[in-house]
Amino acid sequence: MANLKKAFSEIYDQNIDRIYRFVYLKVNSREVAEDLASEAFLKCWECFKRGDNIDNHSAFLYQIARNLVIDHYRNKGKAQLISTEDTPVIIDPKDNLEERAFLNSDIEQIKAVLADLKDDYQNVIIWHYLDDLPIQQVAQKLDKSEDNTRVLLHRALKSLREKINKQVKEA
Amino acid sequence: MTEKELISQLQGLKQIKPRQDWVVLIKKQILEGEIIEPKTSFFSQMLSVFRFNYRPAFAVLTIAVLFGLFGFSQNSLPGDFFYPLKKMSERSQALFVSEGEKSIINLELANKRLEELTEIAQTNQTKKLAPAINEFQASISEATKNLVKINATGSVPGSIKGIVEETQKLKENKQKAEALGIVIGNMEDLDNAIIQQIEIQLKVWKETPLTEEEKNLLTEAENYYQEKDYYQASLSSEELWKSYSVRVK
Repeated sequence: MANLKKAFSEIYDQNIDRIYRFVYLKVNSREVAEDLASEAFLKCWECFKRGDNIDNHSAFLYQIARNLVIDHYRNKGKAQLISTEDTPVIIDPKDNLEERAFLNSDIEQIKAVLADLKDDYQNVIIWHYLDDLPIQQVAQKLDKSEDNTRVLLHRALKSLREKINKQVKEA
Repeated sequence: MTEKELISQLQGLKQIKPRQDWVVLIKKQILEGEIIEPKTSFFSQMLSVFRFNYRPAFAVLTIAVLFGLFGFSQNSLPGDFFYPLKKMSERSQALFVSEGEKSIINLELANKRLEELTEIAQTNQTKKLAPAINEFQASISEATKNLVKINATGSVPGSIKGIVEETQKLKENKQKAEALGIVIGNMEDLDNAIIQQIEIQLKVWKETPLTEEEKNLLTEAENYYQEKDYYQASLSSEELWKSYSVRVK
């Protein structure tokens, strides 16, 4: 067990920043990102302990994180009754002055526009430009060829630029 | 914007990082108590030694002073020097609770603000009237904002009896204050937020499989709602919630 924990500890250290950032850019809330990212690592640890065959832990974590984000938005849109004690803690990004001060206005703008892109475009931009993954690895994650991945990346950047230019014109 | 500029801005997002204390805590929780501290700089290690050696004395002194000040501030009123301390200790109640519980606490605090305002008016402390009115209005605004946020999530509490009772008390206290000649505005937004919460509850109940008795309670709640008797509607809904939550446990 000690060896398992040590091995997982390394996986955790290598991926925690990236998985957190990946989730944060999609949900735009530190609190929700912390919840979902910690859940992703917990699920991964459960599989790791069981001895499940995981070829690529990083890809596995991203997949779990993506699914958790999808579930998060699915539940968010659904009306439900819960006990008073279980009502979720709500973070309104507009209230979070510390985060707004931390990220300057250009970055705030690009963060907001990125969150508005479709999921595939977000993913390919985050993996290649923020996580510095080469096209080959991004293609593997997407289960596409390298050429198709390059095309997707090009379209993602184009879409991002169009949205930013539109915002600038409207401002 | 050129592609190069765009990529440069994108890479600025690399500064988004998780809180270090959260990173350490989650790792510890997942690995069941095994802590592997992140590497710290020489400076922060020296600082932690300093804090460790001198912390106990500073901590005891600070706690003693704070206890004294917090205790003293509990009787303060808006406009008093120590009033912000009183508010700080009140806000700490809402730190580790759910949003549903926070709704009730916010309304309790709004009632406190109204009681302070009434005391100030009764004792003719005219200089404190304006700050007291502002404090009350701010507390109502906070309570309303919290309820609106909960409504927006769609996950409303099954029981809002506590919220409705505090709101009833607020209306009674408001009448008392207005009888003294104080003009403190309306609470329409708060009322609308509570009505919306009841609406969401009724909508969810309609889509939930219920027993015959529970269906009767739902019909009762809907009738009260149509008659705009929201307090009674909330009581019927409370009975329905109690029956349902016991049944599905």
